[in-house]
Amino acid sequence: MAALSQKHIQLALALPPRLRTFLARYPPAAILPTAPGAGASAETPKTAYQEETPNPFQPLKHPATGKWHDPKYSLRRQAEIVKIAREHGVEELLPFTVKGTEERLRKRVELGLRVKGTGVGEQVKGHKHERQLVSKMEKKRKAMLEMPDLIREWKKVGKRNWTKFPK
Amino acid sequence: MAKKTKSRVILVRLLSMAQTGFFYTFTRPRTSLPMSMLKYDPIVRRKVLFLEQKRKGKA
Repeated sequence: MAALSQKHIQLALALPPRLRTFLARYPPAAILPTAPGAGASAETPKTAYQEETPNPFQPLKHPATGKWHDPKYSLRRQAEIVKIAREHGVEELLPFTVKGTEERLRKRVELGLRVKGTGVGEQVKGHKHERQLVSKMEKKRKAMLEMPDLIREWKKVGKRNWTKFPK
Repeated sequence: MAKKTKSRVILVRLLSMAQTGFFYTFTRPRTSLPMSMLKYDPIVRRKVLFLEQKRKGKA
């Protein structure tokens, strides 16, 4: 038993300091030694960091003020931690993060290599001329349908007596 | 100060009645009647009626 834990300690010390610090502050319940005599119902001991933010990768609503606080680790730093952990094969020891490999794969499966704005009910704003294209085409089409009548009327009235000029 | 004399000939804009915004520009004597003609509109690619646009301000 002692030899096994000694080996684990050696492995832990082999991790880069950044990851070691993170795991010391936010140790997952899985690797904590269970106190002798404590039952399954006993609370796992928490570090002061964990008391403050259970998951440092998620935003937290302050219980008193109701304000949302940003995650302790920015998305960039989360991605960095995940990357280091993955390289050392200990990613499952990290708390849940949107930057995790599993979550990223799930998103990729869900969304594919889709272009934003092409989904159901989604639309992109587009340029002004693109937004106005349909109504302009309709206006032209209507005008062209009325054109033969207009020309006939114009020929009947004659250009000397024509009074309806556009603004 | 003497009043500025108006030019005898004016520039007019003949607007396509196909609502394409296409126009031709012509000159005509100020005193003549407003212009109108059948002419080619390249946007709808056919001959349509062109009418002179009303001029702004005092004509």
